[in-house]
Amino acid sequence: MKRKILAALLASTMVLSLVGCGGGSAETPAAPAADSGAATEEAAPAADSGDAAAEGAPAADASAAGGEETLTVWCWDPAFNLNAMYEAEKVYQKDHPNFKLNVVETPWDDIQTKVTTAATSGDLSTLPDIFLMQDNAFQKNVLAFPDVCMDLTNSGIDYSQFAAGKTAYSVIDGKNYGVPFDNGAVVACYRTDILEQAGLTIDDFTDITFDQYLENGKKVLEATGKPLISMQAGECDLIMMMLQSAGASLFNEDGTANITGNDTLRIVMETYKSLKDAGVLTEVNSWDEYVGDFVSGNVAGTINGCWIMASIQTAEDQKGNWAITNMPSLVGAANATNYSNNGGSSWAVTTKCANPDLACDFLKSTFAGSTELYDNILPSGALATWAPAGDSDAYATPNEFFGGDAVSAKIVDFATKVPTNITGAYYYEARNAVATAITNYINGADLESELQTAEQTINFNMQ
Amino acid sequence: MSKPKKMTLSKKQNLMGWVFLLPGALLIFIMSFVPMFRALLLSFKSGVGANMKWSGISNYIRMFQDTVFVQSVKNTFFYLIIQVPVMLILALILASILNNKDLKFKGLFRTMIFLPCATSLVAYAIIFRSLFANNGLINLLFVKLGILDQPYAFLTNTTSARIVIIIALLWRWTGYNMVFYLSGLQNIEYSVYEAAKIDGASAVQSFFKITVPLLKPTILLTAIMSTNGTLQLFDESVNLTKGGPANTSITMSHYIYDMSFKYVPNFGYAAAMSFLILILVAVLAFLQMKVGDKRD
Amino acid sequence: MYLFLIIVSFISVFPLYWMVSAATNKSAEVISGRLIPGTYFFENWKNLMAAQNVGRAFGNSFKYAVILTIVSLLVSSLAGYGFEIFHDKGKDILMSIILLAMMVPFVATMIPLFQMFSKAGWLNTTIGFILPTISTPFLIMMFRQSARSFPHDIMEAARIDGLSEIRIFFQMFIPTMRSTYAAAMTITFMNAWNSYLWPKVIMTDATSQTMPMVVANLTEGYVTDYGMLMLAVLICTLPTAIVFFCLQNAFAEGITGAVK
Repeated sequence: MKRKILAALLASTMVLSLVGCGGGSAETPAAPAADSGAATEEAAPAADSGDAAAEGAPAADASAAGGEETLTVWCWDPAFNLNAMYEAEKVYQKDHPNFKLNVVETPWDDIQTKVTTAATSGDLSTLPDIFLMQDNAFQKNVLAFPDVCMDLTNSGIDYSQFAAGKTAYSVIDGKNYGVPFDNGAVVACYRTDILEQAGLTIDDFTDITFDQYLENGKKVLEATGKPLISMQAGECDLIMMMLQSAGASLFNEDGTANITGNDTLRIVMETYKSLKDAGVLTEVNSWDEYVGDFVSGNVAGTINGCWIMASIQTAEDQKGNWAITNMPSLVGAANATNYSNNGGSSWAVTTKCANPDLACDFLKSTFAGSTELYDNILPSGALATWAPAGDSDAYATPNEFFGGDAVSAKIVDFATKVPTNITGAYYYEARNAVATAITNYINGADLESELQTAEQTINFNMQ
Repeated sequence: MSKPKKMTLSKKQNLMGWVFLLPGALLIFIMSFVPMFRALLLSFKSGVGANMKWSGISNYIRMFQDTVFVQSVKNTFFYLIIQVPVMLILALILASILNNKDLKFKGLFRTMIFLPCATSLVAYAIIFRSLFANNGLINLLFVKLGILDQPYAFLTNTTSARIVIIIALLWRWTGYNMVFYLSGLQNIEYSVYEAAKIDGASAVQSFFKITVPLLKPTILLTAIMSTNGTLQLFDESVNLTKGGPANTSITMSHYIYDMSFKYVPNFGYAAAMSFLILILVAVLAFLQMKVGDKRD
Repeated sequence: MYLFLIIVSFISVFPLYWMVSAATNKSAEVISGRLIPGTYFFENWKNLMAAQNVGRAFGNSFKYAVILTIVSLLVSSLAGYGFEIFHDKGKDILMSIILLAMMVPFVATMIPLFQMFSKAGWLNTTIGFILPTISTPFLIMMFRQSARSFPHDIMEAARIDGLSEIRIFFQMFIPTMRSTYAAAMTITFMNAWNSYLWPKVIMTDATSQTMPMVVANLTEGYVTDYGMLMLAVLICTLPTAIVFFCLQNAFAEGITGAVK
């Protein structure tokens, strides 16, 4: 009897593992090749330096793959990034008929989890050939996992054609690790119909300072009862945008925290608090609420990366009532400008990639070399940071939602004027520390002691 | 069983017991204890990303100097002390009401009360955030009823943010615990209640005199589970308050997750903090077992 | 009493109602707090089907959850039964040790576990999905606690009648403990259906994506279509709700009196 039950258990385990393996191998034709043994061998030489791998590996691998040119890509957002990859595939296939992409939709958080897991456990075989990385996470990932991303400095990509403020995100120790993709240039968006009630126009918000912004905001508040802008509490998006607009960062060149000695940061914090105290800026709890505020007209506008315009346009009934311009500049800060950046992402090639030449050539001929691609993806809202794309006629097309303005060309122009700043590997830690400081400062705490605490927290994290 | 003449039988049965629990125990050993042991080794290393070096107990010292972590421990215990007892008592009351034979629409009520824990996290997070938003339903209601003069930012003030998290937890897990009590109640003869009723016992009396003592094994189970769940609380902190304002509602697991996947990864430190959670849960569970796990 | 129940039920169901009504509204309407059902359901449906391979993800989730539930219930109830019915000091201590296994946050053990699974070649497989959670301290403890009320006298009687231990388990324990099994089944199915962190680490293929992953995909874009998202979430919630509704009589009405 005992034996019977054991046999039954064994049998069921076997059936299950068969189901498991059967399912797995049927669904993943690439599975045998992805065996850990082969993969680590590939990863090991590539780990020392991207160049060595680029020269050594491809020939052998290309023949092994039987001339098939397939690349696996991880990225998120079907309407945006996935669409861009599919269009890039079409563009590249014109010259390379055998070329194929295997795009796996993976949210950014999941990409980060998978990359971290794979890199920490020392098994890179599960990674794709190319993945999309948030610009803010680039420094961190290259520092923590130097084996994951390939050095693309000598890949033949002409980085001078990208906006400098954008490329800087993926440059570590003078080496390029990413191909810049979508534009995060900051736009200030306003409901012109609401401004009108306060006797203001979009021109009153163009090339202004935050002092003027505050005065205008008070007028709007008086006339309509609506704040100019809402921001997520505890996420210091606006703080970071203000900082970068004056070319300032939370870190010094040498990577040390730059908080207590940072006069620009002090101005930013005071500006933010004055907006909040006047009621011109209101804080909300979540992203949904933030979007809900401008979609349903609870606020007169917003300031964010240009990708926010896609969310604004979901409010179809407000067509023609929106306009965009540049953001206000800081008063009293050295190098203050009306331009900044928030968000955006870049493509990274992994060292696991079996055919790095193909991956580089693909990116070079598409995202770093095809106006056709950028024209094709423009309708989805994907704006280039690659300068030649901005000269295309498609970018001069007026957008009726934004009052017939040629918004695309405008944003590409903004992007070229964004000051470069330092992200820092400990970007997220610093951001959280500053968010804590601004929260306490708004609630009445002393600015100097909050900044000191923030610097201590960051230094503690960097130990 | 302990009679001498049954000695061989008892030995045989003892062996049978091991056969029964072997597959389960073995799986837990391989799938949990092996990785746990490796995580334990990791907790004595430190470094950035995959580049780790032995560092003794420095990670364990570090966490007591880490103000954010200390804050997260305090927050988590705040949730534990308030939420677990309230939830378990509420679940017990609901279960005993729904166990009543004469109640109409029992199935419907049960399903409705269970539904919150089946609701996907995404939906539940969005709903709670919008309910407690500045222009959300709760504020609207409170202002209309005159309780508040103007909308209150529930999720950006420390005390109210913590209370919202507790409410969310109660909403989500009370029905879940009720299920265990309902199933546990089936082992109590319904006639016992009828007899008590005839003897003139009130509903409250039979609740305390019959239900609670007989459900003791199940109550112990749910108490240990809820303690464990609350000390590892993650979803609510991440999705409702993002740990804010200024880290005053962040939980331990949330901080550990950030340390592993959001910040520059420091897995040694993350592992060390995880083992502190293990120690805390283990001590609490041990105390609960001491009190509740006695065979009559 | 009814009033109390109605209030509790209302609070419990309100978010679900909101979800259903949101699934029939446009994104901008959902986000501005519209509570009344709209007419946008079919548009949302069409968009969702175009954006995501819901059918495949649903099938995957269903396959993983069903297999895991069956195997897990068998293995864990055997163990729980073994721990309680044949309990002695050694087994009680072992039980306490096993409980430790659930007390470490999964984030800490995930990476060593991933290493094991990737070496074994179990990424993107069913076995990879189910293996870590087949035997859980929670289920073992649950069956151990409920086995405590399994009457010893009828077991002794069965033994005297010459029934083997295995047959006592399958022919007497399982039918008697139907209510526990039903509750365990609901919970296990729900956990398997909603599990996210582990699957997202080991499932790297588009073809092995599960329902929670589809929902996550929808929240990650620059623009979130809330109407479509809520529809996906609704589809993701229904199976657990249905399983619960079907099983709730089994564990709540029980088999009182059958055991004596």
